[in-house]
Amino acid sequence: MDYFLQLCGALSGGLKYTVGLFAITIACSLPLGLALAFLRASGNRFVRGITGGYVWLMRGTPLLLQLFFFYFGLTFIPVIGKYLTMERFPAACVTFVLNYAAYFCEIFRGGLLSVDKGQHEAAKVLGFSRWQTTLRVVIPQMLRVALPPVTNEAITLVKDTALVTAIGVTEVLYFAKSAVNRDVNVLAYVVAAVFYLVMTYGLTQLFKYLEKRFSF
Amino acid sequence: MEMLRAAGLCKSFGEDVVLENVDFSVEKGETVAVIGYSGSGKSTMLRCLIDLERADAGDIIVEGEYLMKGGVYAPEVEKRRICARMGMVFQSFNLFPHVNVLNNLIYAPMYVKKEPKAQAVARAREQLTLVGLADKADAMPNSLSGGQKQRVAIARALMMQPDVLLFDEPTSSLDPQLTGEVLAVMKKLAAQRMTMVVVTHEMGFAKEAADRVVFMGDHGILEQGTPAEMFGAPKDPRVKNFISSIL
Repeated sequence: MDYFLQLCGALSGGLKYTVGLFAITIACSLPLGLALAFLRASGNRFVRGITGGYVWLMRGTPLLLQLFFFYFGLTFIPVIGKYLTMERFPAACVTFVLNYAAYFCEIFRGGLLSVDKGQHEAAKVLGFSRWQTTLRVVIPQMLRVALPPVTNEAITLVKDTALVTAIGVTEVLYFAKSAVNRDVNVLAYVVAAVFYLVMTYGLTQLFKYLEKRFSF
Repeated sequence: MEMLRAAGLCKSFGEDVVLENVDFSVEKGETVAVIGYSGSGKSTMLRCLIDLERADAGDIIVEGEYLMKGGVYAPEVEKRRICARMGMVFQSFNLFPHVNVLNNLIYAPMYVKKEPKAQAVARAREQLTLVGLADKADAMPNSLSGGQKQRVAIARALMMQPDVLLFDEPTSSLDPQLTGEVLAVMKKLAAQRMTMVVVTHEMGFAKEAADRVVFMGDHGILEQGTPAEMFGAPKDPRVKNFISSIL
C-alpha cells in the first residue's frame, strides 16, 4: 500500500505535463479546427484545396512521426532550422494542436453540413448578417451534432498524451516507465492506467453534461 | 400604392427555364394568391422577390426602390435594407430548433434591429397571443405540432414589422386540420390589410381570402383576376383545365 501511494505521488509529478498538454491542445485545436472547417466549406476552391490538403496530411501520417518531425526534425532544415528548434514540451504542444485541429476540422465540417439550408434562409430573410447567422444559428446547431465525436477525440487525446514520452517529456507514462525499470515491478503501469481512466471518466461525464445542455 | 413589382423577371436553372419575362405586382394591403401547376415557377418567383434566388434579368422594385434593375442587383447593404421590408414564411417552417419559441421571435429584433430585450419580449408575447400560442412561449419548436410551428413562424416574421409578407406554400406540409388553424391566422392578417403574397395549393384560401388570384404556368403568369373571375370563368384554357380538375 505504501508503495502504491508512493507511486501515486511520483506519477502525479507527470500530471502537470499530461494535463497541460491536454488542456493546451483542446483550447487551441478546437477553435483552430472550427476556423479550418469554415475555410474547408468556403466557396473559394483554392482555400478549400489548401485546407483539404492540410487535413489529408495531418490525418494521414502517424502522430508519433509528426512529433519526431517537430521535435527532432525541424533543426535539420537548412538555414531556417535553427530558428525552428523548440523545447520538448512546446514541440509536443505544437504537434498536438496541429494534428488535432485536423480531426476537429472534419468533425465540425460534418456538423456544418448537417445544418439545414432552410436555417440559413430563415436567418437571411430575418436580416441576420452572415456573422450573426454563423454565431446564433449555425454554430449552436452544429455543436449538437459535433459533440459526440468531439468527446471521442478528447478521450483519444488523453491517451495520446502518453506518446510524448517518446521525446522525453516528463508526463505520467514517463514516470511510470522509470518506476517500472527502477523497481522491477509492474505496479507503476497499473497506477498510470488508473490515472488515465480517472481522467477519461471525468471527461466522459463532462461531455455527457454538455450534450444534454446542447440537445434540443 | 404599389408595394412590390417585378418586371421582365427571368430565371433559369442551367438549361431549365423557370421564369420568362414575368411581370407581377402587388398593391399595398392586397392579398395575392399565386396558384398553378407544380413546377410552374411559383416558389421560384417568390424566392427571387426576397433575394433567396438570384434572378437572371429584369427589375424588382420594393416600395419604389430597386432591389434589382435591369438584371443588376443593388449593393449588398442596400439589398439588405430593401429586403428587410419583406418577411417570409416557409413551407418547412425553418424555426430555429435550438432555442425556444420566445427566442425564435426576439432574436432578429434584438440582434438585427438592436431592440431592447424587454420591449422585444413584450411584443413577442403580443404576437404569440395574436396567433393563439400565448402559452407556448417557453416551448421548444420540436415539441410543437406543424400547425403551431407555422403559426410561430408567422409571428416571428411579423416581429420584424414587414410591409409585405411572402408565404411559400405555408400549409403544404400540414394535414387538413392543422392547415385550418394556419389559414385562420392568415385570413386574420388579410382582414387587417396586411400586404401578402401567398403561393398556395389551398384553393379555399385563394377563393375566400385573396383579393386577386394569379395563375402561373409555362414559365410565367397565364392569367390573373379576382377569385370570382378566376374560379368562375377563367379565359385561358390551361387555367380552365386546372380549375375544373380541382373543383
